[in-house]
Amino acid sequence: MTRPALCSRRHLLHSGSFGLGTLAVAHLLQQDGLLAAPAKPMLDAPKRFDTLPKPPHFPGRARAMISLFMMGGPSQMDLFDPKPLLQKHDGGVFPGELKFDNAAEASAKVFGSPWKFAPQGSCGMELSELLPHLGGVADEITLIRSMQSGVSNHLQGLNAINTGRSTSGRPALGSWLTYGLGNETRDLPAYMVLGHPAGLPTFQQVHYSNGWLPSIYQGTLVRAAEPRILNLDPDPRLAGSPQMRQIALLRSLNERHLAEQPGDNDLAARIASYELAARMQVAAKEALDISAEPEYIRRMYGIDTKETQDYGTRCLIARRLVERGVRFVQVLNNSQTWDQHANLVTALPKLCKAVDQPSAALVADLRQRGLLDTTVVHWGGEMGRLPVRQNDKGREAWGRDHNTFGFSQWVAGGGFKAGYVHGATDEWSHKAVENVVHHYDWHATLLHCFGLDHTQLAFSRGGVKATLTDGQDARVVKELLA
Amino acid sequence: MRLHVACIIIAGFCLTADASEPVSYDRDVRPILKAACTHCHGEEDELAGGVDLRLRRFMDRPGDSGEPVVVAGQPDESLLMSMIVSGEMPEDGKPLDPAQIDLIRAWIAAGAVADAPEPESLPPGAYVSESERRHWAFQPIVDPPVPPAGPADRIRTPIDAFLWARLHEKGLTFAPDADRRTLIRRVTIDLTGLPPTPEEVEQFVADTAADAYEKVVERLLASPAYGERWARHWLDAVGYADSNGHAEADSPRPHAWRYRDYVIESFTEDKPWNEFLVEQLAGDELAGVVHGETADAVQDPDRLENIVATGFLRMAPDGTGDPLPDPLLGRNEVIAEQLKVVSSALLGLTVGCAQCHDHRLDPISQIDYYRLRAVFEPAFDVAQWRSPAQRLCSLATSEEEATAAEIEKQAVAIEADARAMEKKFLDEIFEKEIVKLPEEDRDAFRTARATPKAKHTPEQAALVKKYPSALALQSLDLYDKEAHAKVVARRSEAKKLRESKPAERFVMPLTEVRGRVPETKVFHRGDHGQPRAAVTPGELSVVAGPAIEPFVPASVPSGSTGRRLAYARWLTGGGHPLVARVLVNRFWMHHFGRGIVATPGDFGLAGERPSHPELLDWLASRFMAGGWSLKTLHRLIVASTAYRQSATNPAAVAADPDNALLARWGRRRLDAESLRDSVLFAAGRLNPKAGGPPVPTGRDPAGRVAEGRAELNANGDVIKFIPPGDDAFRRSIYTTFRRSLPATLLDTFDAPTMLPNCEQRNCSTVAPQSLFMLNDAFVLDSATALASRLQKEQPGNLRGQIELAWLILTARRPDEAELAEGLVHVAEQAESLRQFHVAHPPAKGAAAADPQTEAVASYCQVLLSCTRFLYVD
Repeated sequence: MTRPALCSRRHLLHSGSFGLGTLAVAHLLQQDGLLAAPAKPMLDAPKRFDTLPKPPHFPGRARAMISLFMMGGPSQMDLFDPKPLLQKHDGGVFPGELKFDNAAEASAKVFGSPWKFAPQGSCGMELSELLPHLGGVADEITLIRSMQSGVSNHLQGLNAINTGRSTSGRPALGSWLTYGLGNETRDLPAYMVLGHPAGLPTFQQVHYSNGWLPSIYQGTLVRAAEPRILNLDPDPRLAGSPQMRQIALLRSLNERHLAEQPGDNDLAARIASYELAARMQVAAKEALDISAEPEYIRRMYGIDTKETQDYGTRCLIARRLVERGVRFVQVLNNSQTWDQHANLVTALPKLCKAVDQPSAALVADLRQRGLLDTTVVHWGGEMGRLPVRQNDKGREAWGRDHNTFGFSQWVAGGGFKAGYVHGATDEWSHKAVENVVHHYDWHATLLHCFGLDHTQLAFSRGGVKATLTDGQDARVVKELLA
Repeated sequence: MRLHVACIIIAGFCLTADASEPVSYDRDVRPILKAACTHCHGEEDELAGGVDLRLRRFMDRPGDSGEPVVVAGQPDESLLMSMIVSGEMPEDGKPLDPAQIDLIRAWIAAGAVADAPEPESLPPGAYVSESERRHWAFQPIVDPPVPPAGPADRIRTPIDAFLWARLHEKGLTFAPDADRRTLIRRVTIDLTGLPPTPEEVEQFVADTAADAYEKVVERLLASPAYGERWARHWLDAVGYADSNGHAEADSPRPHAWRYRDYVIESFTEDKPWNEFLVEQLAGDELAGVVHGETADAVQDPDRLENIVATGFLRMAPDGTGDPLPDPLLGRNEVIAEQLKVVSSALLGLTVGCAQCHDHRLDPISQIDYYRLRAVFEPAFDVAQWRSPAQRLCSLATSEEEATAAEIEKQAVAIEADARAMEKKFLDEIFEKEIVKLPEEDRDAFRTARATPKAKHTPEQAALVKKYPSALALQSLDLYDKEAHAKVVARRSEAKKLRESKPAERFVMPLTEVRGRVPETKVFHRGDHGQPRAAVTPGELSVVAGPAIEPFVPASVPSGSTGRRLAYARWLTGGGHPLVARVLVNRFWMHHFGRGIVATPGDFGLAGERPSHPELLDWLASRFMAGGWSLKTLHRLIVASTAYRQSATNPAAVAADPDNALLARWGRRRLDAESLRDSVLFAAGRLNPKAGGPPVPTGRDPAGRVAEGRAELNANGDVIKFIPPGDDAFRRSIYTTFRRSLPATLLDTFDAPTMLPNCEQRNCSTVAPQSLFMLNDAFVLDSATALASRLQKEQPGNLRGQIELAWLILTARRPDEAELAEGLVHVAEQAESLRQFHVAHPPAKGAAAADPQTEAVASYCQVLLSCTRFLYVD
């Protein structure tokens, strides 16, 4: 049995008791001159941005995050939010008003979930039979059943949940975290994005764009198939010192260019990206190579099974990246595959089959490695779905339209409670009514887990202070925290 | 704070109202109602609760409950207030936030006054208010006066005067002029996508003539590289691709390139944009053709050009020739996607939202959307749909057709002859075989052989089974290899003959079918299965105001409806408020990296406001007055101080981080195509061959997609990758753009994925780009080629080689320190490489490596990777 790499910096940080370890290492790094000044609003002189580790505003539990993002809007009442009333009135007329968004084929007929729910774990969290493996880690997760963003198209919803507001052009969550805290490894990008073999999700770079933050904070897309990162091998003639000589010369040339224009974030980011690329040649190959993972780990993630092979591999890679100090990893689906306007009955089981076992394995594996306490795992999309049928042309054809007034997501680790269900929707799973968590509350809480104050983590745009939660009445939802 | 400066965000735009300022219906209240209420209260067929909130005037009427909706001066008596305060309304949405409620309360308390006179009544549907009509982008384009000039040496053109006015307000000035080397590199890459040659640089530096710069600009505008560069920008806007997309198959679109070549030629010859747009929107109607009646027209070069131009309207993803789960939906999506392309490219509006419901942000009603669709409907025609292949039109001449028919006739005759030969051989074999059978079976077997298998009696079947080898009806090769070879040889004559047919050539046009005028109906909630009222073609109502005479379709003699021709002439007639603004804004963006309107595809209420509205109008006016000539506009823009200034202006970095005011040149990275083309050009490898079918791409064994052809085995694994020779080094605009298989280099450096088009490119700085420069074979090979070029041009002179490399790649000469650094690098690398080759001697028969050349190549690679090459200063 292989033990996790004991020497990784991430592990070192965790080996100390919480808080003390963080501060002690930050202190050591500072002594080494490795730690840059804390991020604060840039008001006057141009500043050089970097991804060196930075201390949080206050001690936080979380140090890394893996977001399993499910573009399209997973159906909460079929997965996370059981509503017996829907079954009872299945096919009857929905009594309330509904907002059908880009809906062709709307109907008002109640659509009871075709799937059964049962209590899981010692906490008794009710989960759908479509997610049997998640049931196995129910005692590790916090399930939020009262998410709300209030903007019901995919792009605006994605913007809200991923960039803080429904408007376009803003930095993604991962960019904010890496801007605020830097990276714990110098050998891999701070923010890595694992794409799906069938392509990027709808809206593509919106998922990992740095917006108006300096481009050093944008996500680096990793290909879905081998070679996952191209060009990691130097030409054999140049490998070793000849290439180091090239990089040293390149640095010297580029630094002189930058000196002519101090404060040019793009040039500075380009210089940093060469340094990173040089180190990635060895580190990325090792991090992305799962061949050394023992058989039981591969089986745990479902890599031996066709349906789960891709997602399992990517979840395992995500764990390996976090283990090596990467701050933020996003695992993406293609298109907006969770957007079941039709054919929900057949499509949802397939989608769940592909992600359930790997997602649960990720949580369990992080736990057994002692990394879950400091790693936030997030599973969710940009919206949820309506309690009524769409495309009412027979059971096979039924789907559900968009719903942003109530949807579910789960999180694990990093300071979130374990085995806990938060909030509730109305009896139809239509609108969040109890302990509503707006997307900005979620962001404020998440930053808090990382030791960041959402009002303080700011970037100055021509003297105007901009934050992730910008101008919204966000609150840290303390009830979610352990 | 909230009560003093209420910042209300309504799905994307921000309105601020100060407590000291009276609440305005148009500015403060109506946007809230439009976003949250009027969808059910006025815009749908049925009026929810009998309450119509589209006009202030309608709020005086009581709803179904009998309570007055708004009582001026009495918020507490108003139904509207009680509904929103209690949270009962909006029924399906986020409750209004307290600041919004306060605004509405204050407005009612102050008398609930409308800002402008309202109409007496409204037709059903969305209503365009006066304030929406007043949105800047819907106003007629005016020719504004040029502001009074600033310092004479900085105000070279009126453009500078407009910019100066804003800079001056902010206490900023333009940066000093860029030096000549920087400037010629900038303008050359900007206009041609390639760097200047060392000769061009030195000539410009040495040219003391007053018009030295203007001469350079004229030379660049006249070069074929200009068309290849600027056509690429337009191909982004129209969503050019060499594949059909949409369906999983992403089948090839083998004839799209004729449209690409048409665009390049139009840029090269500076075709006036009003003509260019009319041709692209209605070239078929100009040429007087309809579907299936193009044979004569395609033989006339001018008419053919017009037909090719309509490829513009065939750029949207179209999977209807491939297996699709819902074909009818697929057809409607082709139209919807094409309308997105047309509206974002020409109108700068996102009309797509209005497909399902009235646009929530812009004054575009669902009816507007379908009126726009009606302009294009006859050419698409969902009911009598034509797949991409069925829409093609052949370019064959009657002679070619006759030649092909004649060849086919001969080939068929040869094949008949080959069959006869084969039969004769087999019959001869049969005669030899049958004598091996027992006497008594021979006649019966002969009869069985002559009887088709399907008609065999049971006895005959048994007999054939008994003597299988005697049948000799096929498999001649098993009986007599020599005879078989003769038959094969004869057959291959037919194949060879067929190959001599004139190649079939096609155009991918958009045409209508004679006499077909399908009705356009509004689709309830965008669902093509729920067609409602029929609409006629027309302009968006917000543009077709009382003062503007919109277009009226007039049928054309060819049998086409003339809708697109009329629409195109209206768009380009000079009175349209959007088209010229959208175009010049895009041209400006390509020059400066940022548009005057920073959202080039959205001039609507959710888009950014122009940073310099008067400048935009002035440019649009000049553009139209100058005969819609893009080259004239280029001359104007590149002559400005704004364009010629340096990238360095420390004061401006802090004051204007986004560089919206242009107090410095906005340095930017070479885009994907310019990067690849410039590397090839510098290495002396660029193949200047213009036009024609795209260079194929495929996945190579390393997993990259590159120019070449991949041979796959049954599992889809690459077994062989065949590079296309010199075609691998043509300009990137000629590389196949398959939506599902983007070329790795271009993709790595942010070439767009066309879904359906690209309004503005992403520009990323990520490690895979750096890894590409460090290790990719394309860069290594190019560095080697550049090293060979240097050694050829400066034989034995390393100093000269280094200087030349700098000139080629950066237009600068290295200073002494840089030169020394280069000399050391080459010496050290040569030593390492020498040692490497001692340790790894070449395989037998392979040429010995030359460490000196390799070391120079190493240096070239560093220069190719450095920011002075990758960026345009």
